[in-house]
Amino acid sequence: MTRASMLSLALFVALLALWEGFVRLTGISPLVIPAPSAVLIVLWEGLTVGFLWPHVWVTAVETLLGFALGCAIGFVAGVLLGEVDFLRRLLWPYVLASQVVPKLALGPIFIVWFGFGMTSTIVITALICFFPLLENTLTGLQSVPPEKRDLFRMLGASRRQTLLRLKIPSGLPVIMAGVRVAIVLALVGAVVGEFIGGDAGLGASIIAAQGMMDSTLMFALFIVITALGMLFYQLTILFERWLLSSWMKGKET
Amino acid sequence: MPNSPNFLDIHAASFAYGGGGDVVSNVGWSIPAGALHCLVGRSGCGKTTLLKMAAGLLQPTAGSVQMLGKDVAAPSRNVGFVFQSPSLLEWRTVLDNVLLPISLHQTVIQADRTAAEELLELVGIKEHTNRYPRQLSGGQQSRVALARALITEPAGLLMDEPFAALDAITREELQDDLLQLATIRNTTVLFVTHDIGEAVYLADRVAVMDAGRIVFSADIDLPRPRNQTQRYSTAFNAACLDLRHAMTPTRRAVA
Repeated sequence: MTRASMLSLALFVALLALWEGFVRLTGISPLVIPAPSAVLIVLWEGLTVGFLWPHVWVTAVETLLGFALGCAIGFVAGVLLGEVDFLRRLLWPYVLASQVVPKLALGPIFIVWFGFGMTSTIVITALICFFPLLENTLTGLQSVPPEKRDLFRMLGASRRQTLLRLKIPSGLPVIMAGVRVAIVLALVGAVVGEFIGGDAGLGASIIAAQGMMDSTLMFALFIVITALGMLFYQLTILFERWLLSSWMKGKET
Repeated sequence: MPNSPNFLDIHAASFAYGGGGDVVSNVGWSIPAGALHCLVGRSGCGKTTLLKMAAGLLQPTAGSVQMLGKDVAAPSRNVGFVFQSPSLLEWRTVLDNVLLPISLHQTVIQADRTAAEELLELVGIKEHTNRYPRQLSGGQQSRVALARALITEPAGLLMDEPFAALDAITREELQDDLLQLATIRNTTVLFVTHDIGEAVYLADRVAVMDAGRIVFSADIDLPRPRNQTQRYSTAFNAACLDLRHAMTPTRRAVA
């Protein structure tokens, strides 16, 4: 363990101790700020007794399905707009406008269309993941150095070959940066989507805990959501490393 | 063989980007098969544009460009192009990069792999066959680019300042490798550079371009095979001085 990571762990412990001490000394209501020890007890019960797990499952499924759907559509749309100039000029203003609309504001109409529950949340999540993938795919495909395009022309490569063997692999690091943004946004999308129209999941549980004035449970849920987000992010990083493994070779400098 | 066509014939060719003035203006030039010609000029004199016209990457706005007696309407696979930067695919191994011109059109067979390995040996980087471009030095990357251009055994090579970014010693090594390979395979070469010494060292014949026109041309009558000690000979330096004067015609009187 490096010195810096040891210090950062020490800081974390110190902050927790400070928080615990503050709550105990002032006797502040747990409705406002619960003690860390109380939060951990609720978290532990939730995980061992098991009432948290179905909600974790629902949110995880919503996040991943929405993420996969949004990334897939965003990537395909990015390739289409990147390859067909006419489409890009035709559709770009609409794509941009659709992204300026706050997606969560569309939540209520999605509930009308898709009903309460997972479908609405997945659609919102997908919509949020769509744009970073679209934009990064477009940027990635267009960032190929002109000399490499000329090289593929000299070699008599077809348009499809130039796309599959030059543009997409060449843009992959930029595209994967979009995927990393998308996975973080996906969890936010799923949780907030549940605020609006969920009947299960971690976001819906936060609303339920608020209804019961149970702030301790809310804090426990924050921890679960954070852990889930970090897990997803780390998995994305691992996937990226695997995908870009040959890209990375010789990039020690 | 008096009737065999020149490798390249450029007749009164001009090129202008949409709306602008001529970047290349009324240029005529011929390269007999097997020769090595150098095109020298300052940045922005139009030499790269002329090279791209020879390659078929650009179409002349006036005049004609013929390769082996046929109009160049599109890039031909009978010529290899070496760019200013090595332009390797960073995510493929050195071997895959060299085989790219083949793998785009047919399944790579063992004979192709053997040919690629032989080329890599000729350019002196056989031990790096299975490494990735970013693991190589600039000079080694340039060697891979040279091997890639030669894998299809093209009749000619078009080279756009391929060694400009290398240090002096590495550049000299690559010049020697190029001369050796071109001789072995009887490859015609059109080599663009801004380096007078490089042009004189490599060329049978040089042309100086300025503002889109060829303003000077001369045969280089130095003995072959060339070697780096010739660089310090009187004849070599005289040829360099001629070129130097041709590149700055207006200041000649002052000097």
